[in-house]
Amino acid sequence: MGLPAKFDVAVVGAGPAGASAAYTLARKGFKVVVLERGRAPGSKNLFGGRVYSRPLERIFEGFRNEAPIERWVKREILSFMTEDGMVSVEYTSNGSTSFTAYLSKLSAWMASKAESAGAVIVTDVRVDDVLMENGRAVGIVSGGDRLYADVVVIAEGVNRLLCEKMNIVTPLSPEDVALGVKHVIRLGTDKINERFGLDSDEGLAWFLVGKATDYMPGGAFLYTNSATVSLGIVVFLSHAVREVKRHVYDVLEDLRASLPFVRLLEGGSLVEYGAHLTPEAGLRMVPRKLYGDGFLIAGDAAGLLINLGYTVRGVDMAAFSGYLAAEAVEEAHSLGGYTSQNLSCYERKLNDSFIMKEMKRHSMVQKLMVKGHVFELYPHVLVGAAKRLFEFEETSPKLLEAVNDSLKGRCSRLRVLLDVVTLMRGP
Amino acid sequence: MAQQAATKQRIKRIRLEDALNANVWDVDTKPHIIVDSEKCAGCADKACTYLCPGGCFTLLAGKVLYSYEGCLECGTCRVVCPKGAVTWNYPLSGRGVQYRFG
Repeated sequence: MGLPAKFDVAVVGAGPAGASAAYTLARKGFKVVVLERGRAPGSKNLFGGRVYSRPLERIFEGFRNEAPIERWVKREILSFMTEDGMVSVEYTSNGSTSFTAYLSKLSAWMASKAESAGAVIVTDVRVDDVLMENGRAVGIVSGGDRLYADVVVIAEGVNRLLCEKMNIVTPLSPEDVALGVKHVIRLGTDKINERFGLDSDEGLAWFLVGKATDYMPGGAFLYTNSATVSLGIVVFLSHAVREVKRHVYDVLEDLRASLPFVRLLEGGSLVEYGAHLTPEAGLRMVPRKLYGDGFLIAGDAAGLLINLGYTVRGVDMAAFSGYLAAEAVEEAHSLGGYTSQNLSCYERKLNDSFIMKEMKRHSMVQKLMVKGHVFELYPHVLVGAAKRLFEFEETSPKLLEAVNDSLKGRCSRLRVLLDVVTLMRGP
Repeated sequence: MAQQAATKQRIKRIRLEDALNANVWDVDTKPHIIVDSEKCAGCADKACTYLCPGGCFTLLAGKVLYSYEGCLECGTCRVVCPKGAVTWNYPLSGRGVQYRFG
């Protein structure tokens, strides 16, 4: 690889977690190398389309002014969709804490910040193994090349092949992850503003459940970027392996070609079609230990992502775990070395931060979502009730009658109550 | 009715191959997906043929044919295969799909 023989820190992966770790460490004066398998940082990254800003602002100086932000999300829609219609809840605001973005561009920006801070980014390098000596990580192996470092930050992404090889985790099972597939459709800024009722700096985040995924647990999403729209679906593989009835691409394509999207996106051209797995199991996917002798695990590889049903947090959690990994490296260094014991402060830092607090706080939502019935039942109940309420001829129902009629034959009121209780219960 | 017909008319489906062609690629010369056909034969559901978003797994006369050229590098095939028949890794040297937006 033609590099110095030894670095203080080797970071595997220049995604949000790895780039954040590298940036933070380089600024603290560590000699950092980042190994990225893609041709450029970001070229292997893909996500839905929205990022919560605050954690990134805490990590990167000048984030708001410099980062490749597309639009600030000021309009949110949550829709329940069936063959018969769609019920939506909409929220509009003057304020905003999240923005739409392209992850390839955001990762590239983060990596460029790390590089400016002094980190060495090496691309086109697939790390095949974490180099172990006497039970501790001492570097990485790529093909026939070895690169030594005092500590390794593993930010290899959701498939975490290295963690698997190191026997830290078992191979991913369908219960652990969801598959996201996404179209990026160029429509032009003017059309987007007109059709979605937005100003040029205002973004829309739209979540849909029900028919949008053939009622499979997960959901569909639409995000407006400056001149393009990201339209995609996410399906929990635990259910999809049993319930999928046709090719997942056709599920997405049917959504794009159905109302209201076919009208909203008319005249647009597809500029990218991509897919990525996403952690979906909440705490279940988090490895028992996120550190060991000479290494730390951050980002998707650590399973740090929250899906709340109406929004998803992944990039901010990944980036902040990378930031905390960097802090842990600094602390372990000051304690005299990168032993498992010294690096255990990483876990404490994660537990004290919003990351693990959020993961624990919302664990019941994830439990409810994997039950699956939620994604079929509630769209039908809501659309059924709306149909009764709005499509009357002579006799109009009372509000509760409409809801009761809609529930009838679909499920008991006890079922609904139990779901609500599950949601309300703490971890 | 006229409006419905008009809506129908302007729906142009994008075929999967065309969607994949919208991407930038630098396809590797060596496959990064290998399927053990013996293990694969024992599987009834063949979920990979529905869930690989690149359409890399197709059924022909009850057998799974696979390719790696349209691989979006998501890793789904490996996760959904109940027989552990899929050996999958990332392509080498930055090859494969090049996401410009992501």
